Amino acid sequence: MRVVIAEDLALLRDGLSRLLRAHGFDVVAEVGDPVALAAVLAGQPVDVAIVDVRMPPTFTNEGLVAAIAARARRPGMPVMVLSQYVEQLYARELMLSGSEGIGYLLKDRVADVQTFVDAVRRVAAGGTVLDPKVVAALLARPERREPLGRLTPREREVLGLMAEGRSNAAIAGKLFVTDKAIDKHINNIFMKLDLPMDHDDNRRVLAVLRFLQDSAPTAT
Amino acid sequence: MRTARGWPWYARWHTVLRFEAFLSAAIGLAVGLGWALTGGGPFWPGWVWLGLAIPLGLQAAVRWGLRAPKGQRFLAVHTSLSFALAVMLLLIWLLGGAQYFWPVWPIAGLAIVLGVHRWVVGNRPNAREQALADRVGVLTRTRRGALDVQAAELQRIERDLHDGAQARLVSVAMSLGLAESLLETKPDLVAGLLTEARTTAVAALDDLRTVMQGIQPPVLADRGLEGAVRALALDIAVPVTVTGGVGGRAPLPVESAAYFTVAECLANVIKHSNAMSAWVDLRHEAGVLSVAVGDNGVGGARIDGGTGLRGVARRLESFDGTVTVSSPAGGPTTVTMEVPCELSSPKT
Repeated sequence: MRVVIAEDLALLRDGLSRLLRAHGFDVVAEVGDPVALAAVLAGQPVDVAIVDVRMPPTFTNEGLVAAIAARARRPGMPVMVLSQYVEQLYARELMLSGSEGIGYLLKDRVADVQTFVDAVRRVAAGGTVLDPKVVAALLARPERREPLGRLTPREREVLGLMAEGRSNAAIAGKLFVTDKAIDKHINNIFMKLDLPMDHDDNRRVLAVLRFLQDSAPTAT
Repeated sequence: MRTARGWPWYARWHTVLRFEAFLSAAIGLAVGLGWALTGGGPFWPGWVWLGLAIPLGLQAAVRWGLRAPKGQRFLAVHTSLSFALAVMLLLIWLLGGAQYFWPVWPIAGLAIVLGVHRWVVGNRPNAREQALADRVGVLTRTRRGALDVQAAELQRIERDLHDGAQARLVSVAMSLGLAESLLETKPDLVAGLLTEARTTAVAALDDLRTVMQGIQPPVLADRGLEGAVRALALDIAVPVTVTGGVGGRAPLPVESAAYFTVAECLANVIKHSNAMSAWVDLRHEAGVLSVAVGDNGVGGARIDGGTGLRGVARRLESFDGTVTVSSPAGGPTTVTMEVPCELSSPKT
């Protein structure tokens, strides 16, 4: 799998690169700013870009802007955005650039190497992975609006874990129930959210998107 | 001062005065006619007219004096009343047959009193000096307040770092050192130590993030006040509507103070108000940044109730900002803060 890493701090860039190579990724380029990232993406095929939010020149949210721009040039381009802090606002902006192939995680999550590597693979395959912190904040809101209001607390919990990018088996393990029970919950979620019969992965992404949009700000 | 109907009290006075003038004219006319019909004689109605004119004249003089700019009104009323009295004395002298010119004495007295008043007013320290002295007082107080707040902040940050991230990193280093030493002799224990080191390192990162959030929330630097408030609104457990906008970047310390004020108010909404929803309105008009936070909860918030709003008010004071709280029992609550500041062009 061909990966490009955009991170301005050399220490973290090298660490990330070493970690990914050790897990069989082909790191084709390591860059330190958004301009170089755009050049790499234009020059060669890349399966997933891993992008830090804070980069030169202003050291604010260049990475986020670069990720959205990359996806505007190539719709669905898988991007994993890493940051020292997470904001629901940014998660929502990323999802507006299309719902497939998006990851948004705290840098801390890299420490749990296996989960992180799985998340990168999932994003490269077109999945959605949101940081548990973002998901927790979404779940903390009392739902009043349709259609999410129709979900039971257990179904909301399952939907939250789906948003974190977990597989059915992982969700079952986390909630100490059988895979079959999870299948049933997920089918109920799809039904209650009126998601069309389609490829299962695609419906998962759509469900997560609903989840994010439902708690969208009431004013713009 | 405004009355219940929203009109200044002296506007109503004007109406009353007009009615009075009309009534006096009617009475004066009736008396004049009465004198003519009863066959003339000495012109006594002049005295009645004078009696009617005195209250009217005095009121008109006071009204005229009140038109002077604030700060000079007392002297202006004094001046106009003195003139009105002098004119009346002259009229009385005329009606009395214009004999010995006695009004010169009371008029001279009035003139002396007025002159002394003018002299005293003219020698007062002027308004500009007074304003500067007041300003120095405010600056001295708020500067000390700002330094106190800053010192307390630094102390809190130091303690947070010491008890949190630093302690955890020490623990990580110890776990790693132990793992290194056991690598040869008891390799089976090493995996557990490494896991422990990793989880502790992640917890240290969490601590650092909390501390950094308290110093300067990254989203504030990224997006400015408006974006940061929108991000904050998303993280609150009740629906928060954000309206208005700033249209540029306020100076960083003002943005930061305004952000923490909104954060404090929204935290109060969650903790105390029992509200179903809240709102934040931002605007910058005529060189003043104003931010209002409201909710539909139970009310009863007071600026001196807890330390939270008090601290916010103190912080804003350094920028000549103000905080006002409207929170009747039963709600709703609105906290409004205003800070004079200039904006730089929006960051692109």
